[in-house]
Amino acid sequence: MGVVDKHSLLESFSVGRGVVKPSRKLYIIEPGNVRRVFEALIEKFGYGGFYLSTIVGTDLRDEGRIRLDYYIVLLPEEETVVLRTFIPRENPVIDSLVDILPGALSGECETHDLLGVVFRGNPFLKRGFFAPRDVVEKGEYPLRKDSGV
Amino acid sequence: MGVTKIVEIPVVTTEVPVGPQHPALHEPLLLKVYAEGEEVVKVEVNTGYNHRGVEKLCERNTFYRDIFVVGRVCGICNAVHANCYVRALEQLLDLHPNKRAQYLRVLAMELERVHSHMLINAVMAEIVGFETLFMQIMLDRERVMKAKEILTGGRVLADYMMVGGVRRDIDEEKRQRIRELLLKLKPRVEYYRKVFEEDETIVKRLVGVGRISYSEATSHSLVGPTARGSGVKIDSRVSDKYDAYGEIPFNLVTRSEGDSWARMMVRWDEALESIEMNIYILEHLPSDGNPVPDERRLPRRFPPGEAYTRVEAQRGELTYYVMSDGKGQNPYRVKIRTPSFNNIINSAFMYIGYSLADVPVMLTSLDPCISCMERVTVIDLEKNTRYRLDLKQLAGGKL
Repeated sequence: MGVVDKHSLLESFSVGRGVVKPSRKLYIIEPGNVRRVFEALIEKFGYGGFYLSTIVGTDLRDEGRIRLDYYIVLLPEEETVVLRTFIPRENPVIDSLVDILPGALSGECETHDLLGVVFRGNPFLKRGFFAPRDVVEKGEYPLRKDSGV
Repeated sequence: MGVTKIVEIPVVTTEVPVGPQHPALHEPLLLKVYAEGEEVVKVEVNTGYNHRGVEKLCERNTFYRDIFVVGRVCGICNAVHANCYVRALEQLLDLHPNKRAQYLRVLAMELERVHSHMLINAVMAEIVGFETLFMQIMLDRERVMKAKEILTGGRVLADYMMVGGVRRDIDEEKRQRIRELLLKLKPRVEYYRKVFEEDETIVKRLVGVGRISYSEATSHSLVGPTARGSGVKIDSRVSDKYDAYGEIPFNLVTRSEGDSWARMMVRWDEALESIEMNIYILEHLPSDGNPVPDERRLPRRFPPGEAYTRVEAQRGELTYYVMSDGKGQNPYRVKIRTPSFNNIINSAFMYIGYSLADVPVMLTSLDPCISCMERVTVIDLEKNTRYRLDLKQLAGGKL
């Protein structure tokens, strides 16, 4: 099973394509499908077939939504691809991956603490994971553009 | 006299906090270790003692000033942080540094790898109980620090990378001096590698401790020597071939054992590879122009776009995501994902089943770097008074 199979699997879920410099393939995916994509990747290629490198959350204030990018590295080719999804800024909820992919823990905890995204089903989410106490007490998420931090 | 009464002592789970200040730790992190007797049954990793809000700070400063901000994320790996960020900016601007600059960048990063790997191996020697070995390795590490000072001007903080090249060139005399230092260092590193390979005490403390399998390493997103010690062939230098890595010969080091000893041996082998690479660079340094670009001619405006660059830092894959909205002088979003962030937070599973005394050894074998992980800090001690600076003050630069 080569890298082509992995791309065709990702493509079957995608609703849009793009590129992040330098030539990292980007697949836009519905937020409800993100967990399903990872389940399919694990089922077809196993845990040794890829790893989740990082989760990048960006507050797109003008568009009223939060963008979540899952950067995964396909093994053994070591090619980085991006799964991108958008969730509403007012109610930023998405399914957690932590029970099927433990490597998502650090990224989900950080994104929750700094951006306020709720990963449904992650029991380890807490405020103050990174943010200082005064920011937590005010109920602010530092990486939101209107946080005032 | 027969037994008259049998008292059963129930096995109670004891909570042992290791950190945030602890003799076995060099940096603030709390490992909440739950033990039954001597056996570790659960570990929780607590963070946030040192968060500096660097990502927010980057959004508040210009693209060019951020080069110096990211260089201060971590002392040990400042050149790789700056390199990764600078290459993201070059992707946005579609700029390409010349060959000499690319070779010099690799030289600075590989010198850093040698001294970082020597440092963590020295720390491991200290944790195991060999303080003299710690001192000896640190003494020889000074040679690399000297070489880095000759190249970049700073023993630790280099501030060597800039958009389109590097900050200073080297002449023939400097080239020779760095080469001599490396040639003297090489037999010392070979000797320390042998000590780690053969010494009975080190082997007994490290072999078989903190085993991680291949699929555990990938499912927990572990990177760098930690993953390579478990046989995972990942190395951004090989796959991304950034800067001059596509032209300089080197071997990807992996081991199959997956224990703490394998991780330390991967580091010694990589240090030797890096010394070889540096000698190669110094002997094959291209002369295709000035590697120091004219700062006044660099573009002031950044077009809208996004770039995601990876670099193989000493501790593993380090990634930068930089987004420009094309409107102002500042980046819209900078996301830094350091190797320790994955390696430390996601590795709580590794400690289970081992004895309490092995916890510091296992943690050290991951090469923890809290300043990398948290990128956050805010306590100032002055005249015995304690101030706490909030993120707003930091981000606004009103210190």
